Formats: sequence, C-alpha cells, structure tokens
Amino acid sequence: MIVVAGLRKSLRTGGATVEILKGIDFRVGRGEFVAIMGASGSGKSTLLGLLAGLDDPTAGTVALNGTVISNMPEDRLAQLRGRTIGFVFQSYQLIPTLTALENVLLPYELNEDAGEQKAGLERARQLLQSVGLGARMDHYPVQLSGGEQQRVALARAFILRPPIVLADEPTGNLDTVNGQHILELLLHLNHVEGTTLVLVTHDPALAQHAGRRITLRDGLVVGDEVQAGGVRVDG
Amino acid sequence: MAGLSYGTAGRIAVRELHSSRGKFAFVVLSVAIGVAALTGVRGFSSAFRRTLLLRARSIMAADVSARTNMPPTPEQEKGIAALEAAGNDESPVTELLSMASSARSMDPLLVSVKAVDPAKYPFYGTVVLEPKMPLDKALTDDSVAVGDDLLLRLHLHVGDAIKLGTEQFRIAAAVLDEPDRLSGSFAAGPRVLISQKALEGTGLVAPGSRVSRRYLFRLPRAKKGRALSDAAVAELKARLETLLPEAQVADYREANPALTKALDGATGLLSLMSLVALVLGAVGVAMAMRAHLQQRLDSIAIMKSLGAGSGQVMKIYLLQTLLLGLSGGVLGVVLGMGVQMAFPLFLAKLLHLTPRFALDVHAIGLGLTAGMLTTLLFTLPPLLDVRNVRPILILRRNVDAADDPFGARLMRKLKGSGAQIGASALIVVGLVALATRVSDSRRVGWTFAVGLVVVLLVLLAMAAVTLWGLRRFLKGTGLRLPSTLRHGLANLYRPGNPSAALLAALGLGVMQIAAVYMVQRSIVSEMRGATAENLPNIFLIDMSTDEVGGVRKLLATQPTVKGTPEILPVVSARLVAVNGVPFADLKLKHVGRFAQSLNLTWPPVTDAPPPGDSVVEGRWWTAKEAAGAAQRPLVAIERERAARLKVKPGDRITMSAQDEDFTATVAAVYEADSRHAFSRAEFILPQTVLAGMPVVWYGGVHCDPAATAGLRRVLYEHFPTVTVIDVAATLEVIRQVLLQVTYVIQFLAAFSIFAGMVILASAIAGTRYRRIREVVVLKTLGATRARIAAIFSVEFAVLGLIAGAVGLVFANVLARYLLVHVMHFAYGFQAGANVAAWAAVAGLTVAAGWMASHRVLGQKPLEVLREE
Repeated sequence: MIVVAGLRKSLRTGGATVEILKGIDFRVGRGEFVAIMGASGSGKSTLLGLLAGLDDPTAGTVALNGTVISNMPEDRLAQLRGRTIGFVFQSYQLIPTLTALENVLLPYELNEDAGEQKAGLERARQLLQSVGLGARMDHYPVQLSGGEQQRVALARAFILRPPIVLADEPTGNLDTVNGQHILELLLHLNHVEGTTLVLVTHDPALAQHAGRRITLRDGLVVGDEVQAGGVRVDG
Repeated sequence: MAGLSYGTAGRIAVRELHSSRGKFAFVVLSVAIGVAALTGVRGFSSAFRRTLLLRARSIMAADVSARTNMPPTPEQEKGIAALEAAGNDESPVTELLSMASSARSMDPLLVSVKAVDPAKYPFYGTVVLEPKMPLDKALTDDSVAVGDDLLLRLHLHVGDAIKLGTEQFRIAAAVLDEPDRLSGSFAAGPRVLISQKALEGTGLVAPGSRVSRRYLFRLPRAKKGRALSDAAVAELKARLETLLPEAQVADYREANPALTKALDGATGLLSLMSLVALVLGAVGVAMAMRAHLQQRLDSIAIMKSLGAGSGQVMKIYLLQTLLLGLSGGVLGVVLGMGVQMAFPLFLAKLLHLTPRFALDVHAIGLGLTAGMLTTLLFTLPPLLDVRNVRPILILRRNVDAADDPFGARLMRKLKGSGAQIGASALIVVGLVALATRVSDSRRVGWTFAVGLVVVLLVLLAMAAVTLWGLRRFLKGTGLRLPSTLRHGLANLYRPGNPSAALLAALGLGVMQIAAVYMVQRSIVSEMRGATAENLPNIFLIDMSTDEVGGVRKLLATQPTVKGTPEILPVVSARLVAVNGVPFADLKLKHVGRFAQSLNLTWPPVTDAPPPGDSVVEGRWWTAKEAAGAAQRPLVAIERERAARLKVKPGDRITMSAQDEDFTATVAAVYEADSRHAFSRAEFILPQTVLAGMPVVWYGGVHCDPAATAGLRRVLYEHFPTVTVIDVAATLEVIRQVLLQVTYVIQFLAAFSIFAGMVILASAIAGTRYRRIREVVVLKTLGATRARIAAIFSVEFAVLGLIAGAVGLVFANVLARYLLVHVMHFAYGFQAGANVAAWAAVAGLTVAAGWMASHRVLGQKPLEVLREE
C-alpha cells in the first residue's frame, strides 16, 4: 500500500541546510492503522507531507499502491492525491467561503471521474449526518466551533472513499472531549470504510489506539512496534 | 512593558520589512510609480509648456500687444514710458497704407508699410529675409525690406531703389516671413518693412493720416527655471487697457484661439494626470498595507498579549509606513527624473524641440512629500484598526467579523471609530493640500479632493450593494451553478478579502484612467481638427465683383489648391444706432471711433452660417425669412462684437451703407473661427438686404504650404490688383505646435495609464498572500493547477467586470464634466470604446490575477503548511 524507501529531506533555511529526514524505510499494509510519533521537530509532519506528495523528497521514494509518487508532475500528483488520499489537518483548513456541505463536496467536484454530482451530494449529506452535523450543513466555517470544523474536515477526507487517510495531529487544536469525539469518528470511519490510516501525533494516549507505532527522533525511525490488537502486514 | 523605544520599534519594523521583502516591493513600487509619474509628468509638462508658450508668443512677437488707431496723447506716452521703466520691454510697430513707386514702373503701387524698431523687433520669433541677414542690417536709415510680391509687381530686384513718400530707399532684402503676420492688419498691398526712424523721414505719418499702431511688450524675464506667471501677463494687460482705452489689448495666449484652447486643455489635462498618478499610487499603498496588517494580526495579537499597548504596536507600523513611503518616494523621484530625461529622447524626432532638463529641487521635494504623505494618509485607517486587534486572535484564528452584512459592519465601525473618522478628515485635508500644490489652484484642489471622497464613498457603496446582490444570487442558486463558477464567486466573500475595498480601488483606478483617456481623446481630436490641412492659408483682398468669378475659376484649376476656396462679399457700412440710441450716445467701454465702421457680408448658403461660424445665441434664419428680409432685415453678429456693443437677439441695429440707413433685427449671435475667411466680416445679413450695395470680395484658400509662392505668382499674373496675403508659414508654425501638443498629450496620457495599470495590478497582486493557504488545501484535495486557476479567474473576472462597469460610468460623468464645463471641449459618448474598455478591464484584472497567483500555484503544499 505505502512503501517508503531511503527517504531523505533537507531544507535550506537562511544560509544553512537542515536535514529533517535522514533516511527512512517502512511499509504500511492495506487497512493498517499506523501512528507516527515523535517530539516536536522530529520530522513527523514532514514525513506525512511526503507520504501525501505535498512536497518532493531530497532523496528516496514514496510509492502508493505501487506507483512512485516522488517527483511526479504537479498536476498528475494532485489528481492521484484526490483519488487515493484523504487528508486531515491539525487546523482543519476548510475553505471559509464555502458552506459545510460544499466543503465536504469539494473533493468530489475537483475530481473529474468521481461520478455524478447527485451521488456525491447524497454521500456528503450522509457523511455529515454520520459526524453529527446533519443540522449544520449550510453553515459557513466561521459559524462552526473548532470541533465541528474538524468533523467537517473528517467528512471531507472520506467523501471519495480514499484507500488511504492521512491525519496530521487531528485533535491537536481541540479540547479533550472534542478530541476524543474526533478520534472515535476517525476510527469508526476507518473501520466502516476499510481505509489505511496514518496518523501523526505526539500524544501517546492517541497513539495507543493504533495497531502499529512508528517513532521518529532526529529524522530517523527509532522504533516500529506492533501494539496489542493491531495488525502488522508485511508486503 | 515600559514605553517601546523608537529604536526597538524601528528594529522590529525593519526586520518585518526585511522578512517580507517581496510583498513590500509592491508597496514601494506603487508609491514609486505614483511619485515618478507625478514628478516626471509634471516636470516634463512644465518644461514643455515653457517651450511651447515661447512659440505661441512668436505668433504675436510679444507677450502683450496693444493696437490702436489713435496717436498716443502725451499722457499715454508718459504711461508707456512708465511701463518701460518698470522693467517691461516695449517696441512700437506702425502700420499704414501708402503708395510706392520705382523708376522701372510707370504706375505707383498701393503698399502696406510696417515700421518697426529693428533693434528690438520682434521680441519672439524671427523675420525671415532673402538673402539671409539680420533685420537691423536690412532696415537702416536708407534701406528697407519688401515682400517678394512687390518685387514681382514693380519688376524690381533686391538692390534696386524704391520711393516711399518723399524718400528713396534701397531694397536690402525680400521679406519671406514675419512672425506676427496673423496679428497685424490685413491691409491691401504688398509689404514694405521699414525702420521707425526711416519712416519719420518719409513724411508719411502726418497728423490725421490713417495709421495703426501696435505697442509690443515683453515682460521682465522670470526667475531661472520658472515659467512666466500668467498673473504678471494679466496685470500688464489690465494696465494697458486702462492706459489705452481705445486700444485692442491682447496677450500671447489670445494670439491664436485654437492654440490657446489647446494649451489650456493640455495644461489642465496634465495636472489632472499628475493627480491621478498620485491617487493611484495611494490606492496601491492602502491596499498593500491593509493586506500586510491583516497578515500581521497574529504578531500584533502576540505583542498585545505580552502587554503592548495599541500605541506601541502602532508605533512599529507607523515607522514601517514612513520607511516604505520614504523608499518609494526616493525611488520614485529617481524614476521621475529618468522619465523626465527620457521623454525628450523619445519625442525629439516628433517634436523638433527639446525642453531643457533642469534638476528641480522643488519637484523633488514635492515628489518626496507626496510619497510620504499619501502613504501615511492612506494607511492611517488600517493602522488605526490595530487598536481593535484582540489578543484572543492567537487562540482562535477565525475570529473574524467579515461575515456580517456591510451595513452592520459600517455601523459598528462608525460607533467605535472616532479616530478613523478623524483620520479620514485628515486625508481629505492632506489631499486638498497636495492637489492644490500640484495643480497650483486651491479651487481645483478642493474640487478634486472632495470629488474624490464622494466618488470613493459612492464606489464603496455600489461595490457593497453589488456584492450583496451577488451573494443573494449565490444563495438562491445554491449548488445548481457549476462548481468552478460557484467557488469563484464565493471567493469574493473570503474572510478578510477586501472585495469591497478592492472593487472601490479598482473602480477608482478605472475611472481615472478612462477619464484621462476620454479627455485626452477629445482634446486631441479637436486639435487634429484645428490642424486640419484645408484651412485657408492664403488670403485674397480687394477683389471686385468683375474679378471674383475669374478668381474662382483660376483657383479651381490650380493643383496646389486644396478644398473649396472661401470667398465672401464685404459691404462697408457705418453703425448708426442700437435700439434707436445714436452711436455717440452709447456708453460703451473700450470701443473706439473705428468701432463704428462695419464689415457686412452675406452667407454662401442662405439658411446656414458660413464655414467656421456657429450660432451661440438666438437662431439662424430660414430660407423663407431670408427671402422676406428685404422688408424685415435680419442680422447675425459675431459674439465678441455683440458683447462690446451689448446687443443680444431681438435688439435692433441701425446701419448706414452708401448713405442709406436701414434697421435690422438681431437674429443670432455667432462664434467665429478666425482661421476662416468669413471671420473678416462681423455682421452677416441675408443677401436680399445687401442687394445693390457696392461690394468688394475677400477670399481664403488653402494652398500646399510649399507652393504658395507659385500660387501668388499665378494670381498676380491674372489679377494684378488683387492683394494676396500668405500666412502659410505662420499657420504651419501653429499646426506644428498643435501637433506637438497632441503628441505630448498622447504620450503622457499613455504613460499615466500605464503607471495606473501597474499600480492596480500590484493592488490585485497584493491579495495573493490570502490565496496561498487556499491553494494548498485545494491541491491537497486533488485540484489541478488549471482548476485552481479557473476558480481564481472567475473571481478576478467578476471583480474586473463590476469595477469596470462602475468605473466607466463615473469616468464618463467625470470626462463630460471636465470637457464641457471646465475645458470647453466637446464630449461624445463612445459606446464602442466603452465596451472595449470594459472587456479590457476584466481581461487585465484576470491577467494581473494570474500573474500574481502564478508563483502561489507553483508552490509545494508542504512549504506553506510547514510555515504554520
């Protein structure tokens, strides 16, 4: 499903070059739930970004379903991303000018072979119902609380039934109650939709729910363990 | 936190500027282009105007001239001497008709003698002689210069002798051109140019002889680098009018009405363009600064949560603004000087004249002040908004009230914004000061500033209403619209997106650019008309009724003659009474004895004014009224003459021709165009009224300027008694000047328009930082760049279309007002040009948006996300 090989990423800031990822290798199988952990600055968000093809690696490759996405042309990558990946950001990243329903529908509209709008609309409504926002579909992001916005973002991530969902600190901006709720929704959707889920967090409590935990320190994988109840797939 | 020192505030300000260099490059560019246009256009146009006015003066050969037929009284002589003592240069020109004869010719010839002081005359322009020599060498006590037609008629050559009055003179040269030929009298007979001293010796000027005198004046030289002030000219003119009540006093601006009008129009337009440049620069700054502060909300909130007061935070941004204004100003002045130096290089070929480039400390100071002041003024309102930033922003980014309806926002703003209102008032006052300084007129300054504020408010209101309407539409149609269109339209309401402000700014820019274009177009097209090639440049004087048919025929066969000759009959008459009051009892100012003599004519077409004349009051007679005019005479009077006699349509004028009195009712007052032959007669009556009266004929014809000598020769061979006056050379000067003005106007207008477009484009570009996050999200969700570009295109196209429509409506209103009421030119609505401009605005807005978003679109999403 996801194959990461020899992945390196350096950034030039000011005059200096900072190596954020120093050679990372791992595989994630279909349906797995992986938590990537590490302290602030360990490179976990950069890793997630590279998995989603949001940037090009300095060296090494990322392959999704056998397709190497590293250094792929921008627009092809975008289309591939639209079909394959659902992304959940820490700070929700809803389009402020669109309603909750329109935000959820957006990936559907951006993806040309997604199907008829009517079907998409039906699914968007259904997803919003399932995250408990059936009554707030026509609200704009500013009219929603942080937790509600993140629930819209979750619905958006799942609308195209992507095989992979990547989440970057999805509960980081939320209080415990809302954070818990989002996590439950995420696990529920992961379960129902059968997606592969890669979640970046620095919260051990959150990581406990994952079947596998990869730990990063200073740009290197320092731990990769299967947790009780989790599934490890090789190949 | 104790008071933030200026040092610390400055350090923070500079670091922030440094960290977002790219963004501020646009601010500095906006200010710089505004200031550059201001200093460049202003500097160049004032240099150009100086050069041009010098040429206008040459048409009169002086700054001010006073023409009278009365010999000066001793008191008047004293008065003229006093004017000379005050530093004005004076030189008299005496004109009279006389007979000249030579040993070779039996018949004496009627000549038009012009006596000048060769040491001083002409103050401007040159007398062209053949062979080439200075005027004071040609005009001595015993030599004169004569028109080449005189040589032809008397069979003489340069070096031969000619007798004038009691004296013999050697012909030193032939006169090819006199600068003031159009301003002198159009008397019959070839020219004899003689010195004043030699004229005295001829005994031609005796008491009672009919002599016309012109006093030419040149004002003291203005201080270096400054134009001669119009006020000084007007003052001298007024003093002369008091001193010589019978004289016709004119200043160089009146030498040629078309030229004067063109110059005034050009000057008005040029100062308008300077102001436009200024305001567009300010708009650019305001937009950019607003965007910048929006982006800085986080840092401001952080500083506030650390205990900084609004005043301290504002100190930082105030310093930033000043730094930006200063750098923009300096860059602008440098650019402006470059422009000023480059313009003449571009135009040298077209203009054949090079305004001298002078490093004008004044202009530099004005540019710098304008840059700083406009930047400060227009950033004041967004700066004051800093006070309303709450520290909570750090915790909740989306605290934004932009979703409120415009009205509610406005009310809330009005409630808590005494300072903003104060600042706005300050902006108006500052604008008035700047506009006054730039246009050199307080009235223009006020009109401009107040007009600008009103227009801006209306634009804002209209933009808000349009946006509101669009939103209603969007809500109504819901998901039925294609998603790209829906998304693009929705973007107009992006929180913090200054759609209304951007619309108002764009609208204002469009209005000013389009208004400059329309005014320019109108002035240029009228000037093109004035430089039309078929205006008479050869005048024929004293043709008899027997000759006129032959002259017409001859002219028709000449290939060098262009267009239809204007030939008019003139009946000499005397003014007897106005509304029954005898002439002697009419208490009229500035009307001499000679005002009593009238030139009457009839129009070539019975029921329409002659070429060049247009009715300004009353109406022209119908064919039927003309037919009945023998019983009920009608008359049309030239506007100036009517004003002097204080008559209006309906008044009765009693005239006498051949000792026969008749009374005509004034039917119309008309404006005459002095470039047409018909302007020689100031009273027009239906032919039936003048039937049977003795007539002499005058004519005006356009001849190829290079071939006038040939035409004169042919005319002389067939009609030796007809006087031919050749003003082709002078008219050519005027035509050239007018053409130069049109080139300069078009060039400067194009420059202003270009500068305006750059500024507007950078204002649009200033919104790109708002889009970065959105682009990233869309890309993450699978949008291609083409898709994102399409969404943005919809947004920009709508902005462009709304701004274009509103701006063009106002541009037409403004152009019409300026043209018709201020500059006295014609205004005509041009549907085609407006539609084209509308499409162009939308197209350019989209293009500017693309250019601005280009880099944003190419950015890797992670680069942006990492910055969060």
